[in-house]
Amino acid sequence: MPSGYIKKFLLIMKMTSFMLMLAFMQVSAAVFSQKITYVNKDATLKQVFKQINKQTGYNIFWSPKSINSNHKIDAAFKNASIDQVLVTCLKDFQLTYLIEGKSVIIKDAPVVNTPNVTDEAAADNTITGTVKNEKGEGLAGVTIASMGDKKSGTLTDNNGRFVLDVKDGSEIKISSIGYKSQTITVTAGKKVYNIILVEDVTSAETVVVTAYGRKQLKEAIVGAVTTVKPGVLKIPASNLTNALAGQVAGVIAYTPSGQPGQDNAKFFIRGVTTFGYKQDPLILIDNVELTSNDLARLNVDDIESFSVLKDASATALYGARGGNGVILVKTKEGKAGKAQINVRIENSTSQSVKTLELSDPITYMRLFNEATRTRYPLNPIPYSENKIINTQATLAHAPGSNEFVYPAVDWMNMLFKKRAPTQRGNISLQGGGGVARYYVAGSFSNDNGILRTDIRNNNNNNVNYKNYQLRSNVNINITDKTELIVRLSGTFNDYNGPLTSDGSLQTQLYNLASHTSPVDFPAYYPADSANLHTQHILFGNSPAASGTDGASKYINPYAQLLSGHQRYSESRMLAQLELNQNLSFITQGLNFHAIMSTNRYAYFRSYLNYNPYYYTATNYDKASNTYQLQWINNLSTGNNVAREYLNYTPLESNNSTFMYLQGVLDYAHTFGKDHNISAALIGTRQQTVNSSVNSGNTTTLFTSLPYRNQTVAGRATYSFKSRYYLEFNFGYNGSERFSANHRQGFFPTIGGSWIISDEKFWGDLYNVFDRFKLRASYGLVGNDAISDRRFFYLSDVNLNGGNPASFGTNNAYYRPGVSINNYENDDVTWEVSKQTNLGMEFTVLKKINVIAEVYKNNKYNILQDRASIPTTMGLESGISANIGKAESKGIDISLDGKQNIGKSFSLAFRGNFTYSENKFTQYEAPDYPEAYRQQVGQPINRQYGYIAERLFVDDNEAANSPSQVFSTGGFAPKGGDIKYRDLNGDGKIDAADQTFIGNPTLPQMVYGFGLSASYKNFDLSGFFQGQAKVSFFIDPARTSPFIKSPDSYYTGNTQLLKAYADDHWSEDHQNLFALYPRLGPDGAVIENNRQNSNWWLRDGSFMRLKSVELGYTLPSRIAKSLGVKNTRIYFNGLNLLTWSPFKLWDPELGGNGFAYPIQKVFNVGINVNL
Amino acid sequence: MKSYYKYLFMTVLAISCVSCKKYLDVTPANIGTIDYAFRNRNEAENYLFSCYATLQQLVYPQNNPGFTTSSEIIFPNDLTDFQGIDPTGFNLIRGTQNTQNPGLNFWDGANGGQATFRAIRRCNTMIENINKPVDLSADEKKRWIAEAKFLKAYYHFVLFRLYGAIPITDVNLPINSSTEDVKVKRDPVDDVVNYMVKLLDEAAPDLPVVIQNQAKELGRITKPIALAVKAQILATAASPLFNGNPDYISIKNKDGKALFPSAYDATKWDKAAAAALEAIKICEANGVKLHTFIPTANVGNLSDSLKTVLNLQTTITEKWDVNTEIVWALNPVFPTQSYCMPRLTAKAAASPSFQGTFAVPISEQELFYTNHGVPINEDKTWDYANRYDLRTSQDADRFYIGNGYETVKAHFDREPRFYADIAFDGGIWFGNGLTNQESLYYVQGRGSGAFAGPTDNIRINITGYWPKKLVNYLTVYDDGYTIADYRMPMIRLAGLYLLYAETLNEQGKPAAEVAPWLDKVRARAGLPGIVQAWSTYSKNPTKYSSKDGLRQIIHQESRIELAFESQPGWDLRRWKELQGALSKPLQGWNIFESSPINYYRPRNLVIPVFNVRNYLWPITNNDLIVNGNLVQNLNW
Repeated sequence: MPSGYIKKFLLIMKMTSFMLMLAFMQVSAAVFSQKITYVNKDATLKQVFKQINKQTGYNIFWSPKSINSNHKIDAAFKNASIDQVLVTCLKDFQLTYLIEGKSVIIKDAPVVNTPNVTDEAAADNTITGTVKNEKGEGLAGVTIASMGDKKSGTLTDNNGRFVLDVKDGSEIKISSIGYKSQTITVTAGKKVYNIILVEDVTSAETVVVTAYGRKQLKEAIVGAVTTVKPGVLKIPASNLTNALAGQVAGVIAYTPSGQPGQDNAKFFIRGVTTFGYKQDPLILIDNVELTSNDLARLNVDDIESFSVLKDASATALYGARGGNGVILVKTKEGKAGKAQINVRIENSTSQSVKTLELSDPITYMRLFNEATRTRYPLNPIPYSENKIINTQATLAHAPGSNEFVYPAVDWMNMLFKKRAPTQRGNISLQGGGGVARYYVAGSFSNDNGILRTDIRNNNNNNVNYKNYQLRSNVNINITDKTELIVRLSGTFNDYNGPLTSDGSLQTQLYNLASHTSPVDFPAYYPADSANLHTQHILFGNSPAASGTDGASKYINPYAQLLSGHQRYSESRMLAQLELNQNLSFITQGLNFHAIMSTNRYAYFRSYLNYNPYYYTATNYDKASNTYQLQWINNLSTGNNVAREYLNYTPLESNNSTFMYLQGVLDYAHTFGKDHNISAALIGTRQQTVNSSVNSGNTTTLFTSLPYRNQTVAGRATYSFKSRYYLEFNFGYNGSERFSANHRQGFFPTIGGSWIISDEKFWGDLYNVFDRFKLRASYGLVGNDAISDRRFFYLSDVNLNGGNPASFGTNNAYYRPGVSINNYENDDVTWEVSKQTNLGMEFTVLKKINVIAEVYKNNKYNILQDRASIPTTMGLESGISANIGKAESKGIDISLDGKQNIGKSFSLAFRGNFTYSENKFTQYEAPDYPEAYRQQVGQPINRQYGYIAERLFVDDNEAANSPSQVFSTGGFAPKGGDIKYRDLNGDGKIDAADQTFIGNPTLPQMVYGFGLSASYKNFDLSGFFQGQAKVSFFIDPARTSPFIKSPDSYYTGNTQLLKAYADDHWSEDHQNLFALYPRLGPDGAVIENNRQNSNWWLRDGSFMRLKSVELGYTLPSRIAKSLGVKNTRIYFNGLNLLTWSPFKLWDPELGGNGFAYPIQKVFNVGINVNL
Repeated sequence: MKSYYKYLFMTVLAISCVSCKKYLDVTPANIGTIDYAFRNRNEAENYLFSCYATLQQLVYPQNNPGFTTSSEIIFPNDLTDFQGIDPTGFNLIRGTQNTQNPGLNFWDGANGGQATFRAIRRCNTMIENINKPVDLSADEKKRWIAEAKFLKAYYHFVLFRLYGAIPITDVNLPINSSTEDVKVKRDPVDDVVNYMVKLLDEAAPDLPVVIQNQAKELGRITKPIALAVKAQILATAASPLFNGNPDYISIKNKDGKALFPSAYDATKWDKAAAAALEAIKICEANGVKLHTFIPTANVGNLSDSLKTVLNLQTTITEKWDVNTEIVWALNPVFPTQSYCMPRLTAKAAASPSFQGTFAVPISEQELFYTNHGVPINEDKTWDYANRYDLRTSQDADRFYIGNGYETVKAHFDREPRFYADIAFDGGIWFGNGLTNQESLYYVQGRGSGAFAGPTDNIRINITGYWPKKLVNYLTVYDDGYTIADYRMPMIRLAGLYLLYAETLNEQGKPAAEVAPWLDKVRARAGLPGIVQAWSTYSKNPTKYSSKDGLRQIIHQESRIELAFESQPGWDLRRWKELQGALSKPLQGWNIFESSPINYYRPRNLVIPVFNVRNYLWPITNNDLIVNGNLVQNLNW
C-alpha cells in the first residue's frame, strides 16, 4: 500500500525532528556539567584523573615514565574547568597536556632538559598476550603501543597474539580501528595479558578517506562524507552496484534489469540534480577515475574503504567533475605480519523475482476474435471455432489431438529455465615486513543466465558472464621517509549471451516471447519421415504473407534463442605507482604524495549465428492425424537464407588508454597547544584517448582527440582545540571542451564544524549524547561533462556527407554534400552547482550513531537547447546555451547501533534514509499559454501526459466528446476507449492538454534498514530496502495485446497479459475503469489508448527483503584441528520478498516489464582464513 | 641525498602544476569548418549539391501533397504492415491534419515534409560564400549562383503552395541574432510571388539552355526549367486560391498587414500567360516536343490502339535522356513502382514483395473520357447509367481487355489514356515481360484467389484499380523482379501547353485561340479536337464556347493528361476545386468477391474530410508559440 510508505516516511521525519528538538533542549539543560568538583587533601594524581574521567568522560593518558601517578596533590576543585584541574595537577611536572577529542594526553612540555623524575629502575619485561573481540575471535593487526616509549610497539598477528618488550609499570595502549582503545599498565611479574577489545559504536576514531585519498579522523570532517563498511556491500551478487540502494545514505539507486553482466544499478548521489548531460557521480578507485562498470566488478573483499562525497566541501577538490558527487574506493594494502590468506567460495542459484503472467492460448484466441469483432465487425475473425476446439484438445492432450498442427506454446517456459547457477570465489594473500608489505588477491565469478539451451544445438546461447580479477598492492619503504606503492590490477570479463537485433547486449527474448502468438506455430517439429536425416532443427513458423526480407512470417523466439550467440571480451589493466615522501627535511609536517597511473582498456565483440530452417505443417489429415512438413524459407538470396553452419560477424571493438598524474603537497602543523593548521596543494592531469572501431556509432575526428582535464586544487584547514574546524577548499579546473576564455573554472568552498559535545556547557547532556557534532558547508562545484558534444568552440561540419545529390543520365555523378552537425559557440561554459549542506552527527546513549544532513543544491548554467529559435532560421542543428537552472534539496539520515546482551548475544541495527526532490527553476521552453505545461517548478524526470478520466461509455459519448484523434489513420475513439480531459477547454484533445502527471520516474526516496544478531557462533542478519515517491508507466504500446510492438523487430502479435484478459472493457462487461480499455486488433485503431496518460501511471514504490544471511563460525578448536584460523559458513539470499502495490511485474523494472527480470538469489558460501 | 629529494620534488611538482595552458588545447588547427566548404572549386561543387539535396528528396510520392491529397490515390490506413510507406500524407484526406504535429510538414521538416527553410539557408550560404573558391571560373560561378537562386526560389515556392504567405528569407540571419530578430513575420503573398519571380529572372540568363554534358549533369537546372517554374508560380498566384480569395481576407499579421490580396487582379493572368508562352517557346526552340513511343528491340508489330496507349504509357516512363517531352525531372528514380502494379503472374502472386497498394478510386477512373474524347456523363453514345452492368469482352477489345473476360461496361469504349494510365480487373497489361500483342497479361483482381486480388492485409489494393501510368512496361514482377527505372517529370511540355491554354482562357481569349493548345495534347492521346469532340458527341455541344465551360474542359483535360503526376493535386488546390473533388465518398469495388456480379459493387472506402481550411497547411502550434510574430492560417 502506498499509504504505508508515506506513513513510514512521516514517522521517520517525526523521529528526526524529535531528536533534533531533544538535542537542543539538552544543550540548554546541561551547560555546567563539564566542570569538575573534587575535594581531597591527599589525592593521588590517579584519583584526580579518575574523577575527571568520571565527571567529564575524558580519558586521560599518561606515561608512568614521566609522571608518577601516586604523586599527591591537594585537590580542592569546585566547578573547576578541566583545564584548571589539569594545570593544578601538572604544576609539579615539566608536562603539558593536549585534548584530542575525548582524550587528554599528557606529554612532555617543550622544554630542552628532560627532568629525570621517572622510575629509572623499572626493568625490561617481555610480555605476551592475545587480543580478541567479544566473540572470542583473535584480532589481527591491532596496534600495541607503549605510551611512554614511542619506539616500542607492535601489531598482533593473525591470531591476535603479540609479543612486546616494555618496561614494567609502563602503560600500553591497545587500539584498533572500530574498537574502543584500551590502556593497561604492565605490572612486574605479569607476563601474559589477554585483552578483549570492545567494538566502538561511536566510532569517533574512525578514519575517513576523503578527496585525493586523504585520511581524516571522522571528527575533523566538515563536509558530507558517508563511509560505508565494505562488509555491508557484500551481497550474493556479482555486481557491487546492486548493493548500493538503501545501504548508503544519500544515494538514490535502482536496478533496471537482472541480466548477468547487464545488471548495473543506476545510481545518483542525492538524486538527480541536473537535467544536463551527466547526472551520475564521479567514481574514483584508488584515486583514478573509472566507470560504474569497474565499480560494479570490484570485489568487495578487496575494498579497504568506501566513501561517498556528497557536498561541495567534500568534492570541491574535484571541481570539474565532482558536481554530481564522488564515490571514492580504496583497495586494501598489505599489513606487516605473517602471511594471511583469506579464501571465499560461494555458490548461488538465481531465479526471477516475478514472472509475467500471460493468459492461456484459448483465451488469447477468443479475445483476439473479440478484438476484431469489436473494431471491424465486417472483417473475418482471425481464429475459427475449429482452430480453438483443436487447440483445446492439444492443451488437454486429448486423443487425436496434434500439438504441431494446432500448437499451444508456452514461450516463456520454452525459452527460460526456472533457475540458474552462479559461482564466485576469491582469494587474497597479505603480509610483509618492515620494508615491504603486499596484498595480492584474485577473484573469479561465473554467472549464468536463465535461458534454455538445446542439446541438438551447436552453440551455447545462454547468458554466461565470467569475471576474473587480479590485484596486487605492494608498499615498499625505501627509507623511513619514503614509501613507494605499486598497484597492479586487471579486470577481465567474458560475456556470452543471446543475439540481439538492436546491437545491445540486453536480451530481447523476453520481449520476443511476449510478442509472439502462442497458437500460430510450434517452436519446432519432430522430424517426420521425410526429414529423418535432416541435421538441423525443424523450427516452426508461418509462411510469410508478406515482407521483403525472407519468406517466414514471424520470428520464432525459440529459433532466435538457439540460432546463435554474441560474445564480448573486455579487459582493463591498470598500473599505478605512488610515492609518499616525508619532507620533514624541508620543514616538519610537510609531505609529498604523487601518483602516476595508467590503464589500458580493450573490448571486442562478435556475433555467431546460423539461419534457422523454418517449416510449416501442411496437408493435415485429421482422420489419420498426419501432416507433411513444408520448408518455408526456401530462399536462394538475401539475408535470411537458411544455413546450418555458423556465420561470424565481427562487431565493434574499442581500445582506450588512460593516463593520470597527481601531485599533492601536504602540510600540517600545530601551533601552541590548540591551533592546528593544515594545507594542501594538489595538481592533477588526466587524459583519455579512445580508438573505437564501431559498427553502429560513428567515430569522428573529434572523438579521437584526447579527453583532458587539468586541476590545481587547494585546501586549507584550521582547527582549534580539536573542537572547532574550519576548512577552505578550491578547485581550479581546466577542461579541453571549452573555448580558451572559458577553459578554466574556479570553484571555492568553505566549511566548518563544531564538536559541541566537547564544550563545557554540554555537561550532563553527555550522558545522553556522548558526541554531538554540527557541521556546515557552502560552495561551488563545477561540471564539464555537459553534453556529448566535444568542442563547443568549433563548428562540427561534415564536409563529406549528409546532403547528397547526384546528377547525370544514370545519376553517375554523385557528391555527398555538406551537413552541419553543430555550430560553433564560444560562450558555452561550465555547469555549476552551488551547494549548501548542514549536517549533524551524534551518538545517543553511547550506542546509536546518527548522521543527519539536509542540503540544497542549485545547479545553474545547465546546458540546454535553445527553444526560442524558430525553424524559419533554417539551422541544421540546435543551438545550446548555459541557461538552465535546477534546484534540489533533501535529507539523508543514517543511523546504526549495537547492543551486547550478556556475553554471547549481540544485536546491531542500521538504517539509511535518503530523500531528494528537485525541480526545474529555469528552463527555456516555448511560452505555452497553458500554465500547466510550464516546465519550471516541475521535478526533473516527471512525465508528461494526458489526464485520463475514465473509459467512454459508448460510441455515442465518444463521438460527442471533445475530439481526440491520435491515430495518423484518423480513427476516432469509441466506447471503451480512454476519455481524456480537455484541460484548456478548446474542444479538442491535443498536446496542449498534456500536463505533468505522477511522481518522477526516478525514486525520490530510497531507504534501507537491517538488523543483525549474533549468538555464540551463529550470526543472522536481514536487510530491507525500498523506494518510494516514484512513478512509472505501463507501456501501452508494447503491452497492448494482439497488436505489433512499435519496435520493428518484434514482428509477432503481442501476447495477452492475464491481467488484461481478466479486466478489460468489453461490450458484455462495460467497466468504465477496467484495467485495459476496449481491445483492438491493430495499433492504429487503438492509438487513442496508447497515448501517455495517467491511465497507465503506476506507483513504483516497493519494499524488499533485500538480503538475509545466516552464518556459522566454526569454534576455534575445530578450526584449529582443521588447520585454519577461522572458518565461517553462511547461507544468504537476495531479493527474497517484495511488497509493492504493483503486481504485474517487478516494480523495479519500471515500465520495462518485458525485460530480463530482477533475480532472486540463494547463496551458500564459505570463508576461510588461513 | 637531501638535494636529490629536492630535485625530485621540484620535478614532480612542475609536472603536476598547471603551467602550460597548451595541455588543454587538443584540437588541431585545420579541423573542418564551413570555411573549408569553399576553399576550392571541388569543395564548392559539393556544397552546391547540398543545395540540391532537398530538391532531390521531393521524389517520394507518398510525401507529396499533390499526390496524396489529389483524390487520385487512396492508401489503406489499417494495413498490418505499411511496407515502408509512411501513410501520413495519404491519411490527410481522412481529416487527420492538425496543428499539433501536422502531416507533410515542410515548414519544420517533419512527418514526411522536408526542412525547407534549411534548404533555403544552404542556398543563401552558397551565395554568400561563392566568391571564396580561387579556382572557380567566372562562367561557372555565374551558373552556380543562378542555380542557387533558382533553388532558393523553388524552395520558397514549395512553401508558398502550402502556406501562402511565408517569411521571405533573402539572406541568412546570423547565428547570434537576438531572440527578437529571429521572430520573423510572414510576408504577403504578392511580395512572395514578386520575390520568387525576381530570383528566377535573375537566374534565368545565367543558366544553360540545354545540358551539354548529359552523363554528368542531367538534372541540373536549365533556363527552360527556370522559365517554366516562373510560369507555374505566376499561374498559381493568378489562380482563385491566392488571387483575391475572399476566405483569406481576414488573415493579417499582428501589425495588421494583410497577407493575402483582397481583390482579384486579372492582370496576374496576363503575366502568367506571357511567362507560359515564353517557357513553351524556349522549350520548343530547344527540341522539346511531345513524346511518342520508341519501341524496344523485341516489341513486334503493334496495333494502332496499342501504339497510342504506349505513346501515352511511356510519356513519363521513357528513359529521360531520350524522352523529348521532359522539361524537368528529378534525378532519383521513381521509387514506388511496386505499389502501383497489380500482380499478373502466379509467381508474382506468391511473392511477398509486390504490394500494389496504391489504389485509384472509382471517381478518378470515371474522370477519363470516352473514346470520343468527352466526359463519360456527357457522351451521347455511351451508356452512362448502366456503366456498372457487366459485359464480356470480345475479340475487338483484346488490346484493352482480356478476350472473353467479363467486366463492367464502364471499362469499355474509353479513351486510350484510360487504358494507358489505369489497370483494372480484366485490363490488358502490355509488358511485364510480354510484348507480343496477341498474348498479353490481363489483370485478374477478383477475390483473394486471383493473382492481383487481396492476398492479406498487406498486399491489397482496396479499390481494384492501379495507377498503371506509374509503372514502366519493361518492369517485370514475376519470380523475383526487374524494375525498369524512370524519372517522374516535374514539368513536361504537355503540362505547359495545358497551363498556357488555361491562362489564355482566363484572360478571356476565344476558344479558337485556346483550343489548339489543348488539341495538341489530345491528338497525342488519339482524341479529336475539343470543338469536334464536343460538337459531335457531347450532350452539351457548345460547352467550350463559354469561358466557364472551357475552363471545365481545360481542368478535366489537365487532370486526365497529368493524372498521378502530382500536378493535378496542386492544380485542384489553386483552382479551389479540391473540396468538390473530395466531397463524395471515395469508392472501390468489392474486392474480396470473386464473382463479377458481387465484385462490381461500389463500396465506400474513404469518406474524405476536407474543409476550406485544408487548402492551406497549418503552422505548427509550437512554432506560433516560439515566434509570436507568426499568425496561423485560416481556421487552424
